[in-house]
Parts: sequence; C-alpha cells; structure tokens
Amino acid sequence: MPVTIPQTKYAGKVREVTIGATRAEGGTRSRTVTVGGETTLPFLLHEGEMPHPPAVAVEICDRRPADWSPLLYEAWGEAVNDPATWARAAEAAGADLVLLHLTGPVQRADGSTPTAQEARQAVRRVLEATGLPLLVFGPGIADLDNELLVAVAEEAAGERLVLGVCEDKNYRTLVAAALAHGHLVDGRTPMDVNLAKQLMILIRDMGLPLERVLMDPSTGALGYGIEYGYSVMERLRLAALNGDAMTQQPMLVTPGEEAWRLKEAKVGDGGVPAAWGDWAERAITWEVLTATTLLHAGADVVCLRHPASVAEVKAVIARLMAGGKDGK
Amino acid sequence: MPHVLFLPAQRSAEVSVGASLLEAAQACGVEIHIPCGGQGRCGRCAVVVQGGDGRLRRRSTIRLSPADIAAGYALACQSLVLGDLAVVVPPQEEIARHLVTAKHAVAVEPPAGYTVADQPLQAFFLALDPPSLADQTDDWSRLQRGLAGAYGVSGLTADMDLLRRLGEVLRSADWQVTAVVELDAWDRPAGPPRLVDLLPGRRTDALHAIAVDIGTTTVSLFLVDLMTGRVVARAADYNDQIRRGEDIISRIVYASRKAGNSQPAANSVNSANLVELQALVVGTINRLVEQACRRAGVEPKQVYKATVVGNPTMIHLFLGVPPEQIRLAPYIPALNQVPSLPGAAQALGLAIHPQATVDCLPGVASYVGADITAGVLSSGMHRSEALRLFIDIGTNGETVLGNADWLICCACSAGPAFEGAGVEHGTRAAAGAIEEVWINGDTGEPTYRTVGNLPPKGLCGSGLISLLAELFLAGLVDKRGRLNQGWPGLRDRPSLGPRVRRGDHGLEYVVAWAEETAIGRDIVLTEVDIDNLLRTKAAIFAGFTSLAEAVGVPLEAVEEVLIGGAFGQHINVEKAVEIGLLPDLGTGEGWSRFRFLGNTALNGAYLALVSRAMRQEVRNIANKMTYLELSADNRFYEQFMSAMFLPHTDARLFPSVASRNT
Ligand code: FES
Repeated sequence: MPVTIPQTKYAGKVREVTIGATRAEGGTRSRTVTVGGETTLPFLLHEGEMPHPPAVAVEICDRRPADWSPLLYEAWGEAVNDPATWARAAEAAGADLVLLHLTGPVQRADGSTPTAQEARQAVRRVLEATGLPLLVFGPGIADLDNELLVAVAEEAAGERLVLGVCEDKNYRTLVAAALAHGHLVDGRTPMDVNLAKQLMILIRDMGLPLERVLMDPSTGALGYGIEYGYSVMERLRLAALNGDAMTQQPMLVTPGEEAWRLKEAKVGDGGVPAAWGDWAERAITWEVLTATTLLHAGADVVCLRHPASVAEVKAVIARLMAGGKDGK
Repeated sequence: MPHVLFLPAQRSAEVSVGASLLEAAQACGVEIHIPCGGQGRCGRCAVVVQGGDGRLRRRSTIRLSPADIAAGYALACQSLVLGDLAVVVPPQEEIARHLVTAKHAVAVEPPAGYTVADQPLQAFFLALDPPSLADQTDDWSRLQRGLAGAYGVSGLTADMDLLRRLGEVLRSADWQVTAVVELDAWDRPAGPPRLVDLLPGRRTDALHAIAVDIGTTTVSLFLVDLMTGRVVARAADYNDQIRRGEDIISRIVYASRKAGNSQPAANSVNSANLVELQALVVGTINRLVEQACRRAGVEPKQVYKATVVGNPTMIHLFLGVPPEQIRLAPYIPALNQVPSLPGAAQALGLAIHPQATVDCLPGVASYVGADITAGVLSSGMHRSEALRLFIDIGTNGETVLGNADWLICCACSAGPAFEGAGVEHGTRAAAGAIEEVWINGDTGEPTYRTVGNLPPKGLCGSGLISLLAELFLAGLVDKRGRLNQGWPGLRDRPSLGPRVRRGDHGLEYVVAWAEETAIGRDIVLTEVDIDNLLRTKAAIFAGFTSLAEAVGVPLEAVEEVLIGGAFGQHINVEKAVEIGLLPDLGTGEGWSRFRFLGNTALNGAYLALVSRAMRQEVRNIANKMTYLELSADNRFYEQFMSAMFLPHTDARLFPSVASRNT
C-alpha cells in the first residue's frame, strides 16, 4: 500500500545571515559563510528548503586558557599557546568559522586583565593567519567585554565579524560598535522564547539590520538540561516558520563550551567510576551528541572545541543534508 | 497686527500673524497651564475661541473631540493667530472633564431610594414612664416594653456590660434614651434584635458605621452616616503589616512562624506572630477610624457597625485566624463565608463601639476574596448583558470577566508598585503626590502635576504610569525598561544632561529637584523601580489575557473594561495602554470603553453596608463566580514573560502605541 508522507508548508522563512567579508566586500576573508534561509524544520528537506548547511565554528582563545580540559590541550598541542597557529589548526581541522574567545582574568593563568591593545593584536593576528570568517567573544564580564569588543570592532572594521556575547545589559554598546564598523552581533538570552524575541527587538530598534544578527538562545549540555534548551529552540524555530519576524534569526549555540565544562568531559580516569569508560571517547561523544541534538533543534552555527568532534559533527551534517544517505 | 483678547482676565495682546495663542497669552501675562511643555500632547492648554473661523489655524487637535472643536475649543500651544480673536481660558477642572483619556472615579452615592428605616441598625428614641410604686416593672423589662410598644421590637438581647450600666443610664437621662438596636443580620434574618448601646437623650440625628477595605498594601475606610446613607469622611493609609512582608505569601509565612524562630508554629491561633499581624492591621484601621471621626466630629465609640472586605489572607489575619492553609495544597481557607460577628469589635480590638457587629463579606477562593466580590458588586457587571472585564490594579492583580450569566476570576501576585510601595519615591495618591507627568521629547525635561497642586512628595500610581509612559515615548527608556544614557544613536544626543544619572541603585531619572519638593530630596525613578513597575504591569496584563484565553474570549469582544484601584481620583488610560498595563482597544472610541471605578472593593463594602439587597447580592456573586487557578497554567508564565516589555513583546497587540513610537 502506498504511504503518503504528510507535509507541512510554512509561510515564514529564517533570515539569511552572511558572516565575513571578502576583499570585494570591504574585508579580507577568502570566503564568507551564509547561514539561515530555512523554510522548514531542520533537515525535513521533503517539506521545504534548507539552502545552507549549518556551519561549524571552532573555538580558540587569544592565549592558553587556564580552565580547559587536558584532553583539549593534548588535541591542539602547541597551537594553544598562539592564536594564529591555533586558528590555522582549526582551519585544518575542518572549521567553517573561527570563534576567537578573548580570555579574562579567570581564564588566564596569571590572572591578568586583558587590555584593548592585546585584543586588537590577537584579532589582527588571527585575521592574518586564516581566511575564514571570524566570531569574537569577550571574556563575559560586562565592562571588560565592552572595552575589548569596541576596540576589536574598530580594529577589524569592515570584516563582518560576529561580536559576542550581546546581552540585554550590554547590547547598546555592542550594537553601536557593530553599526559603526560593519559587523554582526550574537544576541544571547537565557533559554526563554520571549526574552530571545525581546533582545532581537531591542537590537533592531537601534537600527542594526536583522541580516546582521544571530540569535543565541543558550543551551545546556546533554544530561544538563538540554531538553529545556531544545524545546526553546524548537519553539523559536516554529514561530519563525509561522511568520513571527522577531524569531527568524539563524541560531548560534555553544555545545563545545557546554560539554567541556562538565565533569564527564573534564575529569579523567581515576576521578570517575571505571564504568564510565574511556575518557577521551566519552568527552568527545558528549560534545558531539550535544551538538547534533542542537542541530536537530534548529541550530545554524555550532561552536565546538575538540578537533575530533569537528570531524564527526561535520559528517553528521553532511549526511543529514543528503537526506540521510551517506553524504559528501 | 492681530489683536487677541483673553477672557475672563480681560487682557489683550497684539501679536504678529502666525504667533501661537500661547505666545499671545504669555505676552499679556495670562496664565495657561502647559503640562507637556507646549508639545500638543496633553491637551491641557485647551481654550475656547470665539469667532475663530478663518482667523485661527489649528496645527493639531489631538485630545479634542469633534464636538469640542465645533464648540470652539483649541489647544493654545497648537493654534496660530491669523486675525483678531477673543479667547476664553476655562478653569482647569473644566478642561480635565473634556480630556477623553483621563478617567475620573465614579462618585460614591447611596443607592436610589435609600432610607434608614430599611437598615438592620436602628436608633430608637424612647421616652419611658419612670417607675413608681404603681408600676414596679424592672428596668430591663421596662426598656423592652417601651421598644415593643413604640417600635414593635420584641425579644431583645443585650450583653452583660450594657445590663450593668442600664439602670444608671436610664435614671441619669431621666428615662429619655436612645436605644441603638441591631434588628437582624444577613445570616440571622429573623433576629433576635440586639441592644448595642443605650444613649442618654434623643440621639437620632446620626448613626455611624464604617466600611473598610483591608488591602495587602493599602487600607481604606469610609465613615458612613446611616441616617442619610452618605459617606461623611474617608481615610486611607498603608497597611502596617507591610513591615512583616510585602505580599500575602510572606505574611502567611510570617504568621505561621514562632516568634524569633524560623520553625513553623503548630497551626496555632496563639502564635505570637499571628497575634502581632492581627494587632498591626487593627492598629491601622483604628488610626483611620480616629482620623475619619475627627474630621466628621464623631465619637469613635459611636460607630456601631463595620463591614469589612479584603482578600482571604487579609481577612484571616484581621480575625486572627491561622492563614497557612491558604498557601498549602489543596488551598482551602478556614473562612470564605464568614458568619456575621455580633459584638466582635471588642474581641478584635477595634476602637469603635465594643459591641459593634463586624460583617466580613464573602470570598470565592483562597486568593480571590471579598475585595473582588465587593468590587464586582460595585461595578454592576454581574447585572449587565454586555461582556465586561474588571481589572483591580492592586497588589494581587485580581481580574473578573463575565456578564449577568457567568463570571470567572483569577488573581496573580502583581506587587504593590502601583500603590506606590516598593518604589523608591512611591507614595499613596494623597495630597502632594505627583499624579501626572509630561516629558518634553526634545529636551528630556519633565513637567508634572500633583494632587492639590502642592509641592511634590513622591509619585503615586497614576504618576508612575504616566512617568513610565512618557520616559518610554520620549526614548529615555528602552522597551526592556532600561534608561538610555548617551549611546550615540539616541536622537543625535551624546548625553542626556543632568536628568539621567547614576544613583545608588543604578541609573535613575530625576523628576523633581530637591528644592521644588516637599521632602527636600530629589524625587527620582530608578531602573530598579522601573523593573518593579514592569513586573507589576506584566502580571496584571498576563492575568487578564490568560483569563480571556482560558474562556476563549478575544479581548476585543469585551465591551467595557472596568478599572478598580487606589489611584486617587483619576487614571489616564492612554498612558496605561502605552506601558502595556491595559489592553490596546484603539484610540478615540477605544478609550471610551474604559471606565474607572476607583476603589471598587471599598465601594462594594459600602453598598453592602447600606443595603440589605446588596448584602444579599454579594453572596450570590460569590456563589456564582468561577475561579481559575493561574499557577496551574503555563499560559500565565508565557504571557507574563512576553508582557515584560514596553508595551509588549508582541507589538501587534499594541498597534496604537507602535504607530506613535516609531
Ligand atoms: S497640548 Fe498644549 S500644552 Fe500640552
């Protein structure tokens, strides 16, 4: 008996957002990355379009972070000591985008406070080392973020960087910097549909076109509340497809950061029950599963930390984009 | 040059063609109030122009109805002089009546056909025959015989105290006395009659009782003369219980704790904390009784009845009944329908006549009490064909939707911000409270009006609504309620000058400088205050939208929105819509669908006090009303979060605000 697969058509569409600018566009990137444009739920390609595959950003830091898992130092080797080398390694690992995380006093072994000058330099060196489009996130301390990111925005004028993290407390400064120097922002809210919409409205009200805004609904890692984040993302995406203009932004999530701060990923053999199995395998699986779960919830940019995870997640994306057949 | 004559001042000015009427007035020293600074937004500079055809150009007529314009009304700040004119400057009160968005509280009147003869409480004058050797009837029987003979009252009861004083009063008054008798009560319709007091001489000129609304934040009271049915004095003040917790939950928790201990006391009426809370609210009421009686020249001991409303928690605490079950599943209060309490004034500590009856009106559920049933009673919505929404803008955000056939209600913890509590410079709607603010969109400078035109003391509910709306429309706060300070995109102003500054609680906006105030300090609105206001308005909005959604009634289908609350004499519905507190029903005709009823709970208590029929009706309302529990409802949280924005996350719900705000 023939089975008809029911199909849902949506009136709405996710906005397309292009990260990075080539020389012709006023930047120096060798290529740009466009995300968004979906007219269907993730990977339901028989119902609608998904013109761009989700992009993988690899997270690097401006100097060796003090609080990362030993497994990550092992994987990246010497590269973690220098952002330019690290960026090249990330590109080699298959990154579509590079996420440069500026360290703050907590992530720095010597507890020093980063200066605007250091931030400018790090960004400059990464831009020179790779042709990939760049996301730059501050240390997560409001005043410091403002100071560093305003400098970064100026330093990289015209590059269409994604500046983050832009929250309701500091959005004015970051959006003003993005407006003045031709960048994008990553607008993050704590796992709530309404808060996400509200931040998008505030950003738009300042005059930044929504084609330059990523929506970061935040998420928990697998086993740590991912269901809640998943449901928020799903609801945002359904609202977008149903025509709610303030939810139609591509979504950025940070499964790498989420997964790698957990005991399961951070604590090695001896510190946890033997039944937990091989440390590296467990940690990478945790990151990959967190990321793929979020891809199914509608993530357009996933930020990862481990090179092995990058390869696996990219393979998953390729398969899903090929309609479940072995892709490539 | 055109010649403009101002009446009734009889002053005139010569001005050049194209000058505004305001400039003309200023040129000859005629004072015209310009609350919005002459921006054509407030409508308070309205004047009446005689023979204006062709000699006057109106740049804007916002705030004026077509009928007003036909009658010659024009805004002085927006009207340009083209030729000779005569202009009448009307008194402020008259202008206020013309403003379609300013809703004034309805007057409190005794029901039609009021007569003291229908009252359960009566003052009977008796001229008794003195006893003699021929008539050896005892004093008590003599009194009873007199009452039966003259007024048909039989089966009289009295308390010990009165019996002890009886002989002395009768003799010292030479057997000419006034008996204050309570004939019956709503739950004892057949009596027996009860002698409440015995006064020497003829004292039938007045007979006093009180209606009391015990709010979580504000307690208000009417002193009523039952002879005429009229309110003779009013008083209101913050509930002294506030110092033991701002909301009802924290009061319940406090009441059920052992004093000085965080352990719950075992469900005890003797809990020291419960006793303390009871004493605090009674103390507040006694203070108000004292004030009102002083103003009316009445002896507090000659107030013979108290009709009381309040939410269930307030009633429990007032009666000293342990309230903790209100908070615990399945949320069953000890008392929803309180029996009438003859002679309970003494036991409760009320400073009225010790034998006065205390009558607490009935509630519906743990969080919907007599304040709401009384509110519905006073609104009359339970008798109307039309669908009405009744919103009580108070600490507990109660809302009722319905008509003569059905009523459904809900409550939500909204917080006391619109009663002026929990806001740095909040105050009650009393003399000196800022009740209206206008902010010049170009300069950020405010102008304000206070109750009684006195130097400002603080901001009351309507002032807070108006100020927040103005800050928002002027672009001084963003949609999330944060004050803007000098970001480069803000209308090309790099900095906002001294009105926005950093204070102890983050950014703040200065409404009045210390030297212009009555308190000698700058009056400010802080970001923390704004956040409180947002929470309160979001809870109220979420309450009535969830309610309407649960019933499946779109808000547009509501014919009339009735507003209750302690806003003093008026609320500006336009401003309340601009901040997303009230639903946007459109401008013009939309504004006419709002009606401000004042303190509906107190008005309802008053009606139940002065009318047997109303006392019966409030019971029917309580029995008829369905209660919707919002805490069991995801919808509420969702609505609350989307209402935590100015005016709302979903701009489509506020089309008239959006059109003014871009
Ligand atoms: S409208 Fe004329 S002063 Fe406000």
